[in-house]
Amino acid sequence: MADVDVSQSKGKQKHSKKKSKRIAVRIDMTAMVDVAFLLLTFFILTSSMNKPQTMEINLPPGESKVEVAESNLLTLRVTDNFVIFWNIGVEKPAKIAFKDLKKFLEEKNKANTRLITLVKVDKKAKYIHMVDIMDELNIAGVSRFSLAPMLESDKKILEKL
Amino acid sequence: MSKSKRTNYKMDMTAMVDVGFLLLTFFILTTTFRPPQVTEIILPESHSAFKLPDADVMTVTVGKDGRIYLGVDSENLREKIFGTEFRLKAGVEVDVNSLAGLLTKARISNPKLRTVIRSDKDAEYGTIERVMDVLQKTQITRFNLVTNLEK
Repeated sequence: MADVDVSQSKGKQKHSKKKSKRIAVRIDMTAMVDVAFLLLTFFILTSSMNKPQTMEINLPPGESKVEVAESNLLTLRVTDNFVIFWNIGVEKPAKIAFKDLKKFLEEKNKANTRLITLVKVDKKAKYIHMVDIMDELNIAGVSRFSLAPMLESDKKILEKL
Repeated sequence: MSKSKRTNYKMDMTAMVDVGFLLLTFFILTTTFRPPQVTEIILPESHSAFKLPDADVMTVTVGKDGRIYLGVDSENLREKIFGTEFRLKAGVEVDVNSLAGLLTKARISNPKLRTVIRSDKDAEYGTIERVMDVLQKTQITRFNLVTNLEK
């Protein structure tokens, strides 16, 4: 690329002044450009474009207990292999497919605006299952839900089915 | 003859170099470095659109194997909570039982701290449940779960 030929310009100084002037303007930028492209590759490779998103959860303070009428309580139970059961109050739990969950939640909340959803996830279930359920709740616009531990008694109810 | 050969080699790279520098400036200015990770975490995906806050974040990381790590983004705070030797570490492995004490300590040092849970998608829910239980007991009733945006 462009470079200053020092020896040549020195040798030809006598011949023509014009030529030496033209050569002297040239600066060797090869190294600079190399470094610039090196940095460019580095920044392209290391930059992370997508910032992680977050999901907000509000838990009630430890001591408080909320009394809810049975008819207003929708319980979702999620087993360790991601089978979802739902029931209202003390009804018998029924299975529901994950893809129908959003529609189901929207319908139930439209039918009863005071509905509170209680999500019980099995301890052995995967974290992503819980996130998926919460995501569906958020999409369905259900803002009032709570998480509760899945107790042995819950498991027994599901086993009986 | 030799001179014409030399001129044949010349290529006008000005435009390319210009674009190169433009891109370079762009990437230098927009880049934010990925914070160092304690363990490899594959985040779950969700449709939630809240952004993770930039500063004052306390991260509880739960690995695939159920190990729990606690990290804060400020070096000074890290030093205060865990001791000088952990100043440059992104996170420290903690026990569930000692988590409550450390969380309280961190919150006293910086009341503005936001708590986030960052967990691998294949981690057992039981571990997360225990962590959330600890959070609730230490009066952290508002926290965030870190997820990737689902496409």
